[in-house]
Amino acid sequence: MSATTHSNSNIHDEENYDPTVWVPEQHSHGTKDIWMKFWILLGLTIIDVVFYFAMDPSMARNVLFIVLGVVKAIYIVGTFMHMKHEKLSLASMIIVPMVFILFFVYWMLYEGNFWGSFN
Amino acid sequence: MATHAISKSSPWSGGKSPFKVSYGKLMMWVFLLSDAFTFSSLLIGYGALRYSFPSTEEAITEISAEKLSDVPVTDGVVHFDVTENLIERYAPAGEHHGDHHTDYFIEKMQETGIFSETHWPSPDLVFNHFPGFGIFDFHGMHLPLFFVSLMTLILIFSSVTMVLAVEAGQRKSKSEVSKWMLWTILGGFAFLSCQAWEWTQFIQAGATPWVNPYGPATFAALFFLVTGFHGFHVFSGVVLNVIIYINNLKGTYDDRGHYEMVEKVGLYWHFVDLVWVFVFTFFYLI
Repeated sequence: MSATTHSNSNIHDEENYDPTVWVPEQHSHGTKDIWMKFWILLGLTIIDVVFYFAMDPSMARNVLFIVLGVVKAIYIVGTFMHMKHEKLSLASMIIVPMVFILFFVYWMLYEGNFWGSFN
Repeated sequence: MATHAISKSSPWSGGKSPFKVSYGKLMMWVFLLSDAFTFSSLLIGYGALRYSFPSTEEAITEISAEKLSDVPVTDGVVHFDVTENLIERYAPAGEHHGDHHTDYFIEKMQETGIFSETHWPSPDLVFNHFPGFGIFDFHGMHLPLFFVSLMTLILIFSSVTMVLAVEAGQRKSKSEVSKWMLWTILGGFAFLSCQAWEWTQFIQAGATPWVNPYGPATFAALFFLVTGFHGFHVFSGVVLNVIIYINNLKGTYDDRGHYEMVEKVGLYWHFVDLVWVFVFTFFYLI
């Protein structure tokens, strides 16, 4: 299937699908949601700064910062990267493999603790 | 040629995109997944090494009371307030130390043993500068976190202007794409300038990938590696954004009939912002 076969066809046409030129039709979801997510991300960053000064370093504070980081990540990926408007199959293909990172985090912190025992 | 005859009852039966995205955008997502693994490895490596060292707080409780003779000691237990006392005493430039306040501060902290090769330094004591000019002179003041918070806001804001450019592209508004792309490029340059200043402060204090006056050399090596790797991503993103901006001015996307290229580069730019959220969390907050 060469690109020239459909050179005069509509680039959005699913019936005469040509992977070299085909793009889905674009629809704007407006700017209201974008600005709302900006204010949320700003607010979360301010909460980070407030807790940084209000709380002494502790595991509870570290967990709070990581949770806030993940919440920020959800808004960035969901809204800014349009993940929430993508098909579930695409979203799963990208997000599910990230679960393996959690195992890696656990193993490496366990390992780091072991290295520390040599000091 | 037989594609037309294939049954299209299921998304996976062929003849169309099962994910309902173009090939280019799908490949950008796959690349970003691989890049997410790369950055995860770097940050997890940082976490494991950092966790293997005791922290500054632990250093303070271990240091003998004589060494900290002129800082408050309650019932033989030296509290974390000690660092704040030390900062108040040595970090402000004052009249005595002039431009060498950072050297003086590090020297005093090394003397007491708070900065040593065996203890991971608290980011609070390393990245505590803010650029000043004119009447706003923050020279020698202890201002942790504020500068990186500003960098975070710059990057989040440039992410917003990027997604506004993508939205304008979906409406095929060439002039609005230009406007928002320009803001995004400026945000990228602002972030890179801030990072250059941040690196300069650290390097002027005597840090290299093999030497770290604040603590273990590993700390400096990881700082340069991870923020440098992220900074290079930002730089690449700015280059891609400039290409998109110029192409848009030339009318490339208008002629093509769609602005998906803005969206694909936008995905990369948001990813760079996403990585910074975690660099900010693990290098500066924790």
